[in-house]
Amino acid sequence: MTFIVFDDQKIELSDGQTVLSALLDQGFDIPNSCQAGACQTCMMQVKEGEIPAKAQAGLKDTLKAQGYFLACNCTPQKPLNITACNAAKMRTSAKVVAHDALGTDVMRLRVKPAEPFTYHPGQYLTIWKTETIGRSYSIASVADFDHYVELHIRRVKNGVVSRWLYDNVAVGESIQIQQATGNCFYTHGNPEQNILLAGTGTGLAPLIGVARDALQHDHSGAIHLIHGASTVDDLYMHQTLVKMAQLYSNFYYYACVRKAERVSLPVTGESIQTIMMSVAAVPAQWKVYLCGGPNMVSSLKKAIFLAGASMKNIYSDPFITSHSS
Amino acid sequence: MSSLYERLGGEAAVDAAVDIFYRKVLSDERISNYFDDVDMDTQSAKQKAFLTMVFGGPNNYSGKDMREGHKDLKGGKMDDSHVDAVIELLGGTLQELGAAAADIQEVAGIANSVRDDVLNR
Ligand SMILES: Cc1cc2nc3c(=O)[nH]c(=O)nc-3n(C[C@H](O)[C@H](O)[C@H](O)COP(=O)(O)OP(=O)(O)OC[C@H]3O[C@@H](n4cnc5c(N)ncnc54)[C@H](O)[C@@H]3O)c2cc1C
Ligand code: HEM
Ligand code: FES
Repeated sequence: MTFIVFDDQKIELSDGQTVLSALLDQGFDIPNSCQAGACQTCMMQVKEGEIPAKAQAGLKDTLKAQGYFLACNCTPQKPLNITACNAAKMRTSAKVVAHDALGTDVMRLRVKPAEPFTYHPGQYLTIWKTETIGRSYSIASVADFDHYVELHIRRVKNGVVSRWLYDNVAVGESIQIQQATGNCFYTHGNPEQNILLAGTGTGLAPLIGVARDALQHDHSGAIHLIHGASTVDDLYMHQTLVKMAQLYSNFYYYACVRKAERVSLPVTGESIQTIMMSVAAVPAQWKVYLCGGPNMVSSLKKAIFLAGASMKNIYSDPFITSHSS
Repeated sequence: MSSLYERLGGEAAVDAAVDIFYRKVLSDERISNYFDDVDMDTQSAKQKAFLTMVFGGPNNYSGKDMREGHKDLKGGKMDDSHVDAVIELLGGTLQELGAAAADIQEVAGIANSVRDDVLNR
């Protein structure tokens, strides 16, 4: 058992309790979303004490050096003196330049950050609805070519942030965003490597980002993209992807729909996993990107690993939602 | 004379072994249920720690750590058969990587030396 000091108040931690959970128990309104070390909305800063390595996993070196850490992943063994993160320093405003429906429940949001904003396509940023409510969204645009940051947002029933973005935010308005993070992005230096991209729902956003980045950088290996959805109407980038496959001889697109009636290729009624295993039957040297629903991501990850893909070549972003873990 | 860890190939050998060994663990019905629910990236890092240790490499694990770490695993109570399975898969992994029979024996010996700690007895 140990304790933390938060803004001069001493708070006891029970065995194995995270800093986030202790603060929430005390009634502090600490931002959080995934509670799994992914979204980085719960970032805090240490004033004194030693931060466990796990609490800084995934943070940029510059942030680590300044003592930032993730409260949801922090179970200290010794006392820590901490403070809330200076939100203003971390966030920048971005102007909405496009807001269009793409499918039944998905929309495309394009924003222009007020300050220089660096990212890799496929990474995710945080959109803040208020000072303390933020959610992660993945980036489908390619910085070198697009003059905006593009996000695909699925309207979640009773979703606090997604519904607000859908219904209340309009072109011309500004929203608060936080720097991009995550390691689901294209890396240079291996242009002949085959790439497999698979995801469900808006998990397509980062996959398109990675695919476009690779193609723009003259990737010569095959790039296979598999999109899974419930119905044909949920294949919200179908036409774009079909065109991409016509344009680039090394880009292949497959769509897996669960409720498939009278479908024709590239749409199939097969499962994502079936298509994945037939496309990448010998994945030992492949690079694999998996994004979207957490259960789907973890089962595909296991399947492709067992088929021979190397752990270090598998990049995944489970879209962990609040209260879902 | 070079150490066991050096003979096996050091950190590079651990890196090569980790995928092979983890794949065996996940596919082995005797023990896979202990590893099913754990996040694969974290687990992969832990396999690396495990392999470094049994390859005779640098590590800071004490018997007490091994006891604590394996006491409340999700898969249920462990017995000798589980440790035997792990040692068997370890041997298979090293064989695939072309290690000498004597070195494989030595690795099995290190794994065996913490048997009682792992089984908390
Ligand atoms: C790394 C990462 C990347 C992400 N990228 C994207 C992206 O590109 N596009 C995108 O649309 N989302 C993405 N998400 C999910 C996103 O961050 C939010 O979780 C999502 O928009 C829901 O937030 P909300 O505030 O609208 O709903 P909340 O108010 O948080 O949730 C409302 C209720 O809906 C439930 N719920 C939330 N999400 C779902 C769901 N998907 N299906 C069923 N029930 C749900 C919750 O459990 C809760 O009960 C990503 C998440 C992570 C961690
Ligand atoms: C044969 C001797 C064994 C040794 C030397 C050993 C060693 C280790 C080490 C070093 C770790 C990493 C600990 C950490 O850093 O947190 C670990 C974790 C683990 N071991 Fe073992 N182990 C042995 C046997 C077993 C057996 C028989 C099982 C079950 C069948 C098992 C299941 C696990 C699991 C599930 C974890 C991960 C726990 C977690 O995620 O926190 N181990 N082991
Ligand atoms: S990283 Fe801590 S809540 Fe998401």
